[in-house]
Amino acid sequence: MTVDPNAATQGFPSPPSAPDRPGAARYLVPALVACAVAVGLGAYGTVHDPAGTAFNLAGFSSTGAVKSWLATASFGFAVVQLVSALMVYGRLPGPSWAGALHRWSGRVAFLTAVPVAVHCLYALGYQTYEPRVLWHSLLGCFFFGVFSAKMLLLRSERLPGWLLPIVGGLVFAALTVVWLTSALWFFRTFGVTT
Amino acid sequence: MKRSGPLFTLLAGLLLALFLLSLNATTGTRPTASGGEPPTTKVSPNPTPSPTGTGAGTGGSPSPDPSTTGTPPPNADYAGRTDDDSSAVAVSLRDGRAIAYFCDGRDQESWLKGDIEDDGSLKLTGRGGGELNGTLKGDRVRGTVDIGGKEYGFTADKAVKPSGLYRATATVRGAEVDGGWIVLRDGSQVGILKRDGRPSAAPEIDPGSGAVTIDGERLTVRPVTP
Repeated sequence: MTVDPNAATQGFPSPPSAPDRPGAARYLVPALVACAVAVGLGAYGTVHDPAGTAFNLAGFSSTGAVKSWLATASFGFAVVQLVSALMVYGRLPGPSWAGALHRWSGRVAFLTAVPVAVHCLYALGYQTYEPRVLWHSLLGCFFFGVFSAKMLLLRSERLPGWLLPIVGGLVFAALTVVWLTSALWFFRTFGVTT
Repeated sequence: MKRSGPLFTLLAGLLLALFLLSLNATTGTRPTASGGEPPTTKVSPNPTPSPTGTGAGTGGSPSPDPSTTGTPPPNADYAGRTDDDSSAVAVSLRDGRAIAYFCDGRDQESWLKGDIEDDGSLKLTGRGGGELNGTLKGDRVRGTVDIGGKEYGFTADKAVKPSGLYRATATVRGAEVDGGWIVLRDGSQVGILKRDGRPSAAPEIDPGSGAVTIDGERLTVRPVTP
């Protein structure tokens, strides 16, 4: 991936800064956005007639290989996420830049996962024909929903201390299962190939 | 202080997704199979290149009554069983041309080719005297297949991926292998694999990725179009 998340974001107009929302909205808005994202992705995957094909990257034998390696990279950064989060919360000894490491590894992990998801939804769609595929479809949609919620929750102050670790844990767990049901399956079925 | 970093992260992901989606939408209509799930091994494509290799989108909305229109019936795939439940039949339509596959899953199969008329009638012929006569009406093809001195009635319903008609040809361990698969709507598969012309039951393909292992070698089947 040649996308520099920093460069891509510079051109955005600054979002309208909402006035301090009262209590319930701080949780309701992220939750509703999460539902909308997850259901929206699933609905698109169901409604869109799977093209069966999409762009490929040079140097790889198949889009399955590209996706598996991108997903593996994303999962690798997700592991960094877990470790750096433990550092931020003081559960592990860590450097002072653990927070920055957590933010940037998260961005990279997310932006690496996006092309994979786009390919999945565009070329394959939301499928349920076997348990592996069902769980992958379900949790793939869930992942982007709960990730959106996590990002939005970060903007709120004075959250209960347990909330972010729980939501972050959900993000990590979802990505793990998504990776297990796709990339690991791919490598086990086709061999570790490029 | 409101942190806007997370919002930028989300927006960047959204923009990236839209960018890739537009890339797909613009490149996905090309007939070349440069993208997609290319074969992991040497799998030679069906002899006739398809003019609408990725035309799945156009097949999604068939006009309800083809007989009243002056244009050929819409591109689509159909798959079903014979009336005696012994065999499966799949028909693939593209731009007025048709290819069909009859297969009993053991030793009898036939590829049949021909045109579909504007009124939805099909008359396809295969090597060795096989013949398929059928009619497309609504979302199904009904007709008969004459093969091996027997006549089989069949009904084939519109097939939605991953059901449909697939083929793989390759050289595996010095043998020319040629496999044909019909994936039915209920997920069951009927297929025959010929090794140097000798037919046998085909191993199951993975309907999602099209992967199949033949004599220890992994191949990728491809959807068949006329």
